[in-house]
Amino acid sequence: MTTRLEPADADECARSLAGASAERRSMRIAGALSKAYLGELRATDVELRTVRIAGVVDHVPADLTITVAGGTPFAEMAAALARAGQFLPLDPPHADRATIGGVIAANSNGFWRSRYGGVRDLLIGTRLALADGTLARAGGRVVKNVAGYDLDKLVVGSLGTLGVIVEATFKVLPIPAASAGLSATFARAGEAFAAADALVRGASRQEAIVIERRSGAAWRLHVGARGDRPTVARAKSDAARAVADLRGSAEPADDVASRLVALRELPAAAIDGALVRAALPLAAQTAFAESAADLDAFTTLVADAASGIVRVHLRGDDDAVATGAVALLMAARAVGGSGRVERRAESLRERIGAWDPAEPRGHFLMKRLKDAFDPAGVLEPGRSAVG
Amino acid sequence: MDVLGRGKVVATREDMLTYEYDGSADTASPDAVVLPETTADVAAVARFCHEHGVPIVPRGAGTGLSGGAIPVEGGVVMSFARMARILEIDVPNLRAVVQPGVVNLHLSTAVAPHGLYFVPDPSSQKACTLGGNVAENSGGPHTLAYGVTTNHVTGLEIVLSDGTIARLGGKAVEDEGYDLVGTFVGSEGTLGMVTEITVKLTPLAEDRRTVLAAFTTMDQASETVSAIIASGVVPAAIEMMDNLSTQAVEESVHAGYPLDAGGILLVEVEGVRDGLEDARERIEAICRANGASSLRLAATALEREKLWAGRKGAFAAMGRLAPDYYVQDGVIPRTRLPEILRRVNEAAASRGLRIANVFHAGDGNLHPLIVFDLRKEPDALRRAQEAGLEILAACVEAGGSITGEHGVGMEKNCFMPLQFRPDDLAAMRRVKDAFDPAGLANPGKVFPTPSRCREFSLGAVR
Ligand SMILES: Cc1cc2nc3c(=O)[nH]c(=O)nc-3n(C[C@H](O)[C@H](O)[C@H](O)COP(=O)(O)OP(=O)(O)OC[C@H]3O[C@@H](n4cnc5c(N)ncnc54)[C@H](O)[C@@H]3O)c2cc1C
Repeated sequence: MTTRLEPADADECARSLAGASAERRSMRIAGALSKAYLGELRATDVELRTVRIAGVVDHVPADLTITVAGGTPFAEMAAALARAGQFLPLDPPHADRATIGGVIAANSNGFWRSRYGGVRDLLIGTRLALADGTLARAGGRVVKNVAGYDLDKLVVGSLGTLGVIVEATFKVLPIPAASAGLSATFARAGEAFAAADALVRGASRQEAIVIERRSGAAWRLHVGARGDRPTVARAKSDAARAVADLRGSAEPADDVASRLVALRELPAAAIDGALVRAALPLAAQTAFAESAADLDAFTTLVADAASGIVRVHLRGDDDAVATGAVALLMAARAVGGSGRVERRAESLRERIGAWDPAEPRGHFLMKRLKDAFDPAGVLEPGRSAVG
Repeated sequence: MDVLGRGKVVATREDMLTYEYDGSADTASPDAVVLPETTADVAAVARFCHEHGVPIVPRGAGTGLSGGAIPVEGGVVMSFARMARILEIDVPNLRAVVQPGVVNLHLSTAVAPHGLYFVPDPSSQKACTLGGNVAENSGGPHTLAYGVTTNHVTGLEIVLSDGTIARLGGKAVEDEGYDLVGTFVGSEGTLGMVTEITVKLTPLAEDRRTVLAAFTTMDQASETVSAIIASGVVPAAIEMMDNLSTQAVEESVHAGYPLDAGGILLVEVEGVRDGLEDARERIEAICRANGASSLRLAATALEREKLWAGRKGAFAAMGRLAPDYYVQDGVIPRTRLPEILRRVNEAAASRGLRIANVFHAGDGNLHPLIVFDLRKEPDALRRAQEAGLEILAACVEAGGSITGEHGVGMEKNCFMPLQFRPDDLAAMRRVKDAFDPAGLANPGKVFPTPSRCREFSLGAVR
């Protein structure tokens, strides 16, 4: 039987962790459970949910920073910011349900990363409840700060294995005045990625440069831009030129923003088969995408081409899906990148692991950090790539 | 020391003298100085030191302003001067792979023909090394819009204090498992040595506008900073100088700064040509609304360079005011600028000290420079440090930080409890112990040490 805990505040959360450590009871750490599919999920004695540790703690619009409690829904924070004409320039999947703590712990980025930075770049402070029941602050509420170690970076992507994020501070921005977008199709992957690459190197700073491929369909490029009117107009014409130079055909662009939202939600939609996610050096994307599209089980590819994050959804019979997933992990590793099986159907859980069987670089240091922060090994045992 | 062979060890006491100093006021003598040429050299020295319980203090160019490269507990100073090669310029992947001794500006110069640059541009960029930048997580005038060093590093090779070599990250934006690259950047040599760095390269902007705005008072200049930030224009840089700084800089650089202004702002916007005139007009309008007495747009590239040479040469120009200076690096929320600047000036004035302010206003990162002549006033340094502490306490009280880019080092390690409670420091300690269980990597830095911090009582400022 799993005990469910919903601590009311940071102190109660810390006490729960201390109790679990003392009694060596294993714990799942969760917010809204929107990403409950991530990693290796072992049954735990306790499920601790942060949903009551919620609310905006501090928002000084003129400082362009916001501090929120860890269990605050992302959407609630976004609404608070929007009332002040601001936004957190992050577009994570599951934005409708996810909590801030979950977004940080899962390093949940969308397509805006190359334009504004990812979770690790926007997060400037955290308060953590640690396994021994202490509460520790790292970073702060100012946009520049090098006092002490950057523990904020350490918790981004830690999947609850190092502690519970009970508070977080971000840099935010004023909502831009104008936006525009463009979609185009290309006959070949090489052309679509070359157009994306031209934009990555171009003078305009696009907000999203995304490549989509569905089984049997053409390669599509979606570009979004936001900013003041003149720069957005220029961004759009730069994108149109890149498309034309690579013999793409532009499509009507009225709903690029909503298309991008749908593509961003691929992890939410990919409930069957396996969703492989690779982080690649930019120039390695084309070959990776081409070989992905050739797999028997291939259905959908979505690439944040400006950051080198490529997702491939494989479906069909379990053999083909498993073989394809393993091939993609190897391909990612072969070019110096990394890959994971971000989501997989229940029937595949035993056949393919969530993580590349090759240890991540610096694994022995990760192990030592895990032991230092959670000596009893109670926080999300086995869930992350660290083990 | 046989570990490396003769040519890689600094032999004489005399030659070792330069390794007693950096850009800060602290000094200490090393027991030995080594000049490794390869990662294997670094690992060999580390293994030797580990076996004999000797501290290792990594050193780049020694421009650090917090005593990070000073061997406060003795031991071996390891200079990276001979590991200064750019190993790879990878244009397709927008990355460069460099050795730690490469000088910051050399990298940007080397990649400029490809239309690329390395964003972090410390004012010391003609001298400081990328290893030092990684260790300090350095910033610069142009890190306001695009981020500091940690936002531009994706891979590292490190050598731990026991000689273990580890590769972290790579050329992709992220790697699996914990973000060890992000954890290591800014660790000031206390987690180990960096022997190779993979950095992001960024396309150069198409064009830029640089505006020099003069104000009668620093308050007006501060209000202008807040107003620009809030307006939605995101300038590439917003730098501020007070009258004393302006005088010193103008005398040495002749950049054309107005000598009668109480405060000046150097604001730069960059990007595509199309939006620049609009952005410039908005910024100028905000400056005028906040009482700017004059506005000057850099008309040519040469003029722009002069304006920046003035700003970047500001610390050096302080020599015109007095032979010695002591600089602090506190950060505050940008809306608190006017109020905290007043307290900064009071902290100096009440101790009979002259102070100049020249800083990264857009980030709220203060650089109060206290100038004095130690030959004439032997106790000025002590008074300056007292004023520094009062200033940092005010920054923390305002919700800020004791250091925005210069690092804690041995200069502010006793001040860490101003900003962090014991539990916060204990959490950082776990990271230290995971990387450097023997405590030999740059000891006496970052964390308060009982021996040196005893006399220092925080009660006095709290
Ligand atoms: C005039 C002047 C202007 C400055 N302007 C700025 C500015 O605008 N922004 C800013 O951020 N800083 C500035 N600084 C501070 C300084 O230049 C930076 O901190 C710089 O990054 C230090 O580089 P360095 O090579 O001189 O390092 P050093 O001073 O030699 O060392 C600094 C720290 O890095 C560690 N270190 C060096 N190399 C390695 C390595 N390979 N592995 C591990 N640790 C290492 C050292 O142990 C030490 O703790 C300025 C300094 C001066 C003198």
